[in-house]
Amino acid sequence: MPPRMQSRSVSNTLLPYLTATSSSSLSSIPSLSSSSSQCLSRQFSATAAPQAQTKLRRQMFEWLNTEGAVFKHHVPGETNYLTRLKQRGPETSSDASRPFPNNSSFISEPILSEELRNEVYHRVVEQKMSLRAVSVHLGIDMKRIAAVVRLVELEKRQRAQGKPLALPYARAIHEMVPTTPLAQQGERQEYHEPINDLPAHPLTGSQIFYPVPESRSFTRVEAGRVFSGAPAMEHSEAAEISHPSDLAEKIIEDPNSIAWVGKGANARQILQPADVRIPHPHMVALERDRLAHPNERLAVSEKQSKRLKRQDAIEKERRERLQARREKKLTVVSPEDSRFDYRIKDTIYTPETTGADGRGSKAVGRRYGVPHRDRTRGEIKIPTRVEA
Amino acid sequence: MVLRIRLARFGNKHNPFFNIVVAQARSARGAKPLEVIGTYNPIPKRPTNLYDENTETRPYKEIALDRSRAKYWLGVGAQPSDPVWKLMSMAGLVAPKPTTFHKA
Repeated sequence: MPPRMQSRSVSNTLLPYLTATSSSSLSSIPSLSSSSSQCLSRQFSATAAPQAQTKLRRQMFEWLNTEGAVFKHHVPGETNYLTRLKQRGPETSSDASRPFPNNSSFISEPILSEELRNEVYHRVVEQKMSLRAVSVHLGIDMKRIAAVVRLVELEKRQRAQGKPLALPYARAIHEMVPTTPLAQQGERQEYHEPINDLPAHPLTGSQIFYPVPESRSFTRVEAGRVFSGAPAMEHSEAAEISHPSDLAEKIIEDPNSIAWVGKGANARQILQPADVRIPHPHMVALERDRLAHPNERLAVSEKQSKRLKRQDAIEKERRERLQARREKKLTVVSPEDSRFDYRIKDTIYTPETTGADGRGSKAVGRRYGVPHRDRTRGEIKIPTRVEA
Repeated sequence: MVLRIRLARFGNKHNPFFNIVVAQARSARGAKPLEVIGTYNPIPKRPTNLYDENTETRPYKEIALDRSRAKYWLGVGAQPSDPVWKLMSMAGLVAPKPTTFHKA
């Protein structure tokens, strides 16, 4: 179809405002600047624009001047939610954290206060405490701790560069939403959020009917094996595990000790009990120690700090080893006549990686003869992690 | 017949991604090759500007290559195409081709 000629100039309703502020830039287009006064009438529509306010708009201004006037200015330290209006009736005080009057199940969660987030940065970066320890002390999720450290770092850099920061905005927001304060000296720190939540594993979503003889013990360890389709443990092996949380320590020290089931592309590690998969398995161990030795608080806490130190050292060593291995496989070339660096990674092509039919999922490159899954339902396309 | 080490385009429109493949020279670009020895992502990636040391780094392109297989195929006479020659010369597997022109 050939391009059609416009019978008359089409005006954008936004343009009058543009021409009002920057008329000089648009004055070169005569049809637009000359007709700016007519632009308010809608040339594309035969219906005349309503001259008076609509009923809804009138009602909105009425409400803003009467009932809604209380929301114009907020009280620092208190939320400024619509639910305040409803509080005349017999309502609970927890309504202050519910912003939506018709959705009582939505609760606005507190955010970190300025002092608390600075404390997180101070402990992690300046005192060089581990994320795990800071998370337990301040009751903040480990992912949030990592995010806070990154963002405070960014803020410091922007300050150093003299970039403008939206400080009045931040201050106003902190006054209007619930925050978790930093505890004063000698006080107990209020937990910001539950830190030891069990992540839902997709394997546990299935319902399995698994009959077990009454004479046999069946613990969380065995349940994990059933979920992942692994054969039951030997009696002697099962008898060695007195409590599932004992496994956690062993697995932190040697993650490769988790056994595998299945063959080829279907191989998977056996699902571990919740005691191992929670973010802070050492908290379970501490609680068990406390119950076992109620009168030796000092000894128990010393044992715990030793345990944490040992696990941190192991984890750090493993991270460094992984990093070194990754760097050994990577060559960075920066050609002088190019705008880009080239990162060359060593890969291995073997019959094992490609599989017998050449379609193995571990081999390098895109596969041949395997359908693309990039448009299937539930496929996550947005990046789920940031490489900083 | 000549063996070539060349690029095979994958990915969607405006989102190219290449396998570095060893294939018969007369076979189609999308045909199944003898071997896939690597990948090349021509879309440059930019390091996040979260850290000071990242601000000066240039954007980078990712190459994955099995060096031992590449050396073997070069040894038995496989001929890299020009783009692959460029990538392999950066990996130090072949001598860089002399440029026929110089930038002013």
